[in-house]
Amino acid sequence: MGNDFGALFRKDCRMLVTGKFFWMALGFLLLYTAYVNLGYLRFMEMPPYHVYLYDPGGTQTQASELVQLVPSLEALDAALLEDTNGVGLDASTGAVQVVLYPGAERIDRHRVDYALSLLEPQDSRPPQVIGSNTPEQKARKEITCELLFFELAAVGFLGIAAVLFKEKGMGVIRVHAVLPLRKSLFLLSKLAVFLLCDLGFAVLLTLMNLGIPDGGAVLPAVLVQTAMLSLMMALVGLLCALVLKDFRQFTLAYLVIAIFAATPVFLSANTSVKFDWIGYHPFYHIYMGLKNAYFGGRASPADTIGAVVAIMLLFLLVELAFRREMGKEG
Amino acid sequence: MIQVKDLRFSYGKDKQALQGLDFTVEDGEIFGFLGPNGSGKSTTQKILTGILKGFGGTVSLFGQDIKTIHSREFFQAIGVLFEFPYLYANLSAVDNLNYFASFYPKAQRRVVGEVLELLELKPEAWHKPVASYSKGMRQRVSMARALISNPRLLFLDEPTSGLDPAGAVLFRRIIQQEREKGTTVFLTTHNMMDADLLCHRVALMVGGRLVALDRPKNLKEAQSSHQVVVDYLYQGRRKTKTIAAQALAAGLPFAQDELLSLHSQEPSLEDVFIRYTGRGLS
Repeated sequence: MGNDFGALFRKDCRMLVTGKFFWMALGFLLLYTAYVNLGYLRFMEMPPYHVYLYDPGGTQTQASELVQLVPSLEALDAALLEDTNGVGLDASTGAVQVVLYPGAERIDRHRVDYALSLLEPQDSRPPQVIGSNTPEQKARKEITCELLFFELAAVGFLGIAAVLFKEKGMGVIRVHAVLPLRKSLFLLSKLAVFLLCDLGFAVLLTLMNLGIPDGGAVLPAVLVQTAMLSLMMALVGLLCALVLKDFRQFTLAYLVIAIFAATPVFLSANTSVKFDWIGYHPFYHIYMGLKNAYFGGRASPADTIGAVVAIMLLFLLVELAFRREMGKEG
Repeated sequence: MIQVKDLRFSYGKDKQALQGLDFTVEDGEIFGFLGPNGSGKSTTQKILTGILKGFGGTVSLFGQDIKTIHSREFFQAIGVLFEFPYLYANLSAVDNLNYFASFYPKAQRRVVGEVLELLELKPEAWHKPVASYSKGMRQRVSMARALISNPRLLFLDEPTSGLDPAGAVLFRRIIQQEREKGTTVFLTTHNMMDADLLCHRVALMVGGRLVALDRPKNLKEAQSSHQVVVDYLYQGRRKTKTIAAQALAAGLPFAQDELLSLHSQEPSLEDVFIRYTGRGLS
């Protein structure tokens, strides 16, 4: 059985090599790392809104360096016209008048409070800091978690489906029906290849973006969550490739799974948006498990058991679809 | 080698694919399985190759009931050539054969190079991806895949499909060589020439039933009108006459100056099939 598995494993690796899958994964790794270090962290350091101050009398002596002085009311109007999210402060009449293009009511209040707070920054009371992460560490962990989830849920899923569609198109699945091997090994070798690939990806992405000390500390928990998500997505990819007729049908399923299923999870997990039903969304628990792993939280045993059961059920479904595919006409 | 008794199979409540087949295939025999599309040939082959389960009746291969046969040993003993050349298009012929051979015990495998030489695949193509091969070349590699494990029982589905005449002759020679080695061959085909030239016995199948099973020669004789057409010259004019074959025993029963040709009116295997089934092999 070991020899059979070895032969299948080597063949699957060759399929990925000839399909340039490893190059694609490496490209994504470099792209994500560049995005984190050259884009996301800089973006997170940017002030939320630009604040423009017209103060001909020089009354606002304690204003923050983040406040940009403008020479006239016309210049203030021009600045706000160009930057409609910005906030203008007109101090020409003595009292400070806030000027802005309106957006959502709650956001506008925040914009006003933020702009006014910059006029007297020393008066703002520093909050009590909890947790041991610096803002940069927090940002790095958040974005690394999101990118890893995206890679596993969308890119890896697409990869395994593409490989199986290729084999299905070549008809070689039917040849395996008459080979002297346990048929489930055909599926297990694919799962092993993609699991190892995803684990390797998770190690590199985590260490490259969190650094070795921080990344190494969270890696064991991250790898456990990665393994569960990787297996689930690989099985869903296999199932789609076996059940759906062609790659065109798959792209529709891909849109539904990768975009419509993942979007509410990202919104609920990373913003103040909360859906009542999100607790029933399996991706939400998987994503939160991964996020907890990055932030040192403990995985919920119920979620872990649920994931293992889901993997087993998916495997049975995939095996059923695989046997059906083997028996099909040419 | 193969014993089939009252084999029945249904794809659904109303789709009875096989309706009680009975036949045996002897050791070292080339057995032809003929029938139009949808007649149940593929279903039968799938059952015999262990792919389809849930059938009625009994099927024994190598003296054992296929339902209880140890699958690993069973699959080691059979070789299957599918109707289409199923190969990894991104791998070369050698890589494909090495991969598929790796599932069989080393002592059982044939040498990849020797099998490719047997199939007369040009050596310069051996290491090129199968995607660059013609249909005929792919069929040769598929045949090599079926032979690589030295099977005791060979299932061939349309083996000469996609081959040029020289390729078809080569395949027939290889099939004969396999039989001489003692391999049993179960040949599913539409090609009447293959069936006629290769098979010891053929089974004619239509609508999930066997309508005839015998040697090709016997089937043709049974349907023959036993007449011959004689072309001859008489008094400077070319003439044609159809007479009973037995009439020739005493010489030509009419006057002639020169005998030009004699044509047997024995039906072809395709004629026999059409007479038995009322339809062609399309």
